[in-house]
Amino acid sequence: MSDGLDVKAFITGYLAEAGEHLSSANALLMAIDASQKRRESNPKAVRELFRALHTLKGLSAMVGAEGIVDITHELETLLRAADKAGGRLPQNAVDLMLKGVRAVEERVAALGRGAEVAPAPKALIEELSSLNVDEGSVAGTAAIDLAPELAAKLSVAEHAQLAQGLARGQKGRAVEFRPSAERAAAGISITSVRERVGKLGELVKVVPRAAGGAVSFVLIVLTTATDEALCEAAAATKEQLTPIALTETAAAAAAEPVEDAPVQHRDWVRVEVQRLDDALERLSVLVVTRSKLDRAVKKLEAGVGDLRALKAIVAENARQLRDLRGAIMRARMVRVSELLERAPLIVRGLSRASGKPVQLDVQAGDAELDKTVADRLFPVIVHLLRNAVDHALERPEDRKAIGKPEEGRITITCSDHASRELELRISDDGRGIDRQRVARRAGAPVPQTDAELLELICRPGLSTMEVATQTSGRGIGMDVVRKTTLELGGELTVSSTPGSGTTFTVRVPLSVTIVDAFTFVCGGETFVVPVSAVDDLTELDRTQVIEPPEGKKNGGARVQLFRHRGAAIPLYPLGAMLGFGAEPGSEHERPKVIVTRKGAEAMGFQVDRMVGKQEIAVRPVTDPLVMAAGVAGSTDLGDGRPTLVLDLAGLAARHSLRKVMQ
Amino acid sequence: MSALHVVFKVGEVEYVLPASEVVELESYTGATRVPGAPPYVAGLVQIRGKVIAVVDLRARFGLPPKERTLDSRVIVVRHGTRLVGLLADSARDVVKIDSNEFRSPPEVVSDETEGFVDSIAQPNRRLVMRVDFTKVIGRQELTGSTP
Repeated sequence: MSDGLDVKAFITGYLAEAGEHLSSANALLMAIDASQKRRESNPKAVRELFRALHTLKGLSAMVGAEGIVDITHELETLLRAADKAGGRLPQNAVDLMLKGVRAVEERVAALGRGAEVAPAPKALIEELSSLNVDEGSVAGTAAIDLAPELAAKLSVAEHAQLAQGLARGQKGRAVEFRPSAERAAAGISITSVRERVGKLGELVKVVPRAAGGAVSFVLIVLTTATDEALCEAAAATKEQLTPIALTETAAAAAAEPVEDAPVQHRDWVRVEVQRLDDALERLSVLVVTRSKLDRAVKKLEAGVGDLRALKAIVAENARQLRDLRGAIMRARMVRVSELLERAPLIVRGLSRASGKPVQLDVQAGDAELDKTVADRLFPVIVHLLRNAVDHALERPEDRKAIGKPEEGRITITCSDHASRELELRISDDGRGIDRQRVARRAGAPVPQTDAELLELICRPGLSTMEVATQTSGRGIGMDVVRKTTLELGGELTVSSTPGSGTTFTVRVPLSVTIVDAFTFVCGGETFVVPVSAVDDLTELDRTQVIEPPEGKKNGGARVQLFRHRGAAIPLYPLGAMLGFGAEPGSEHERPKVIVTRKGAEAMGFQVDRMVGKQEIAVRPVTDPLVMAAGVAGSTDLGDGRPTLVLDLAGLAARHSLRKVMQ
Repeated sequence: MSALHVVFKVGEVEYVLPASEVVELESYTGATRVPGAPPYVAGLVQIRGKVIAVVDLRARFGLPPKERTLDSRVIVVRHGTRLVGLLADSARDVVKIDSNEFRSPPEVVSDETEGFVDSIAQPNRRLVMRVDFTKVIGRQELTGSTP
């Protein structure tokens, strides 16, 4: 038995470490990708990536995860070769390696769930092993649909330049220019053509070719210009123009959205040792207090005790417990920068899938928030980023036409307010939300304010896309974004300016208490009660209700007895106790009973009907006007209204107190 | 020293609060009732992600209950770090009132409203009463002793 425990403990450690290596692998790949875009190699990142994957391979072998070992081995081989080549990698290597890392992530996640680890994907392994660092051009040709005679003339770098441009969404064109004596007389030569074509786009290469005794030139260009303009510039006919595209597999690989990578649900947090030490410190103080208590009790027993001293110790104890709780809560905090680590990866995937170049700027600062909040907030961030890339940013050619930089810009900033709230803003410099169109779709009047606009775009199922994009229709909608924010006790706002962009602001508390709760209806109102406070749920069987001998008439709020599991327990009529003026006898036909316990004492509460079970974020109700025994807090079930979290035992205690006073 | 005041109506009487204490005015679509709260507390509402207790001014001033209308407003007032909502029959305008225009209310007024009015003023020959906010939100009874 102890064996099983050891392996489990080891897996936990493995998951934590693998997670770290994987996130650094992703970050390094992004760095390599950025370098490649600048046509530079990044030997340092290549070496670090090699090390991270090498360690991961070793760890995975120890837990017997062959699927992971095989993938990491292939990645490692590629990186070793790249390292020898001064950090140079074939152009589509980053994409393939991202796929590889993603495949590893999936398998690590499976391991975490205790599921079988799938073997390495064959196709991926083959693709990876076919990448050849020294002969990058050969491996790369397959990715671009280009006549072999032309492809052969392209250097690795030119090939890469072309592939990159295509992946960015630029058009690739090969246009042929045939010089002639007449043309030369009219001033049209390869020099002038080159110049004119160069003005229309990025001229990758000019390939001379001899066909049937005549010399011609093929200009390979990346452009956003129209074919007509290009033909004119090259003095060519339409027939002399050939489009160049990424081949299907390469296009598919590029278009594959990365953000659907399994969002690792990490059930662990990285904690600074100092914070744990702090918690430990507070614990040891409590131990001291505990022995002080012992001594004080002994003194009392001996009759020499001092009640005041005992009270002081108890007060001290309460303070220390609060401190310990605070220290533990601090250990649960994760850095927002850690949460946003994957944002560049997500945006990159979206950018490729949509063919819109995007620059992402993340200013996470050093804000922190509770693990629970972070986990729930992440899908919200992903959705807002997806919205920004898919819908908000214009296509590069449209941006250019209206004088914006072709590259769209998305900014994530965040700040914490008074250590209680986190404000996260996701802004884009896109077209802004089209109020008319949203109104049309929703069949509602055109929203005049940002608040009204938000109301409309958060209607369930509302979508303003003209074309279904590759990434749309998946994942969550704006309604869920808002619901999640509300459930966390936060707020979502939008501000959108036509033509210049949209900003979504999410404000959430830095930490919340999230519990499982039952939702039920009583006296026409909905309430929730924590699952942990519920002993049993049962139908009310009238034959099991015992009228107390002297039915005291306290309005409708009469407590009866109810046989439950062989014991007679009090049955409280919750509807009448709430005092909301529900007429007696108006209760549900088949009422339910919630059985709760206070200490050893069980008690039942009659309610109209149970609705379901869900996780809720409990917010304390602190205003003195509404602080009442029986109300544990409030929550938002996603409808924007407060719903009370009841403390049934507390309600019962208040009820009895009131009866005594009467 | 003249300051802006938010004017609101409860019954037939117009009351004012300094605008500097008012955070916002929201329409009222009902509140979540809280068992055990004083009878003049309408319940909880959620405004911009914050949960706020709302005092029903009609109940507080001893007026008979009335159906809520489109005009009903929750006046969100800041009291230190605490936000409290006041439910009024309507709240439409803002007036400038000079601080020395305020006079103590005649005794009969203060009796009727249980001392919730701290002074009165007559800007543009309009009679308005300044509410003693602290008294309005002050809790006099303890939980369990309310009838």
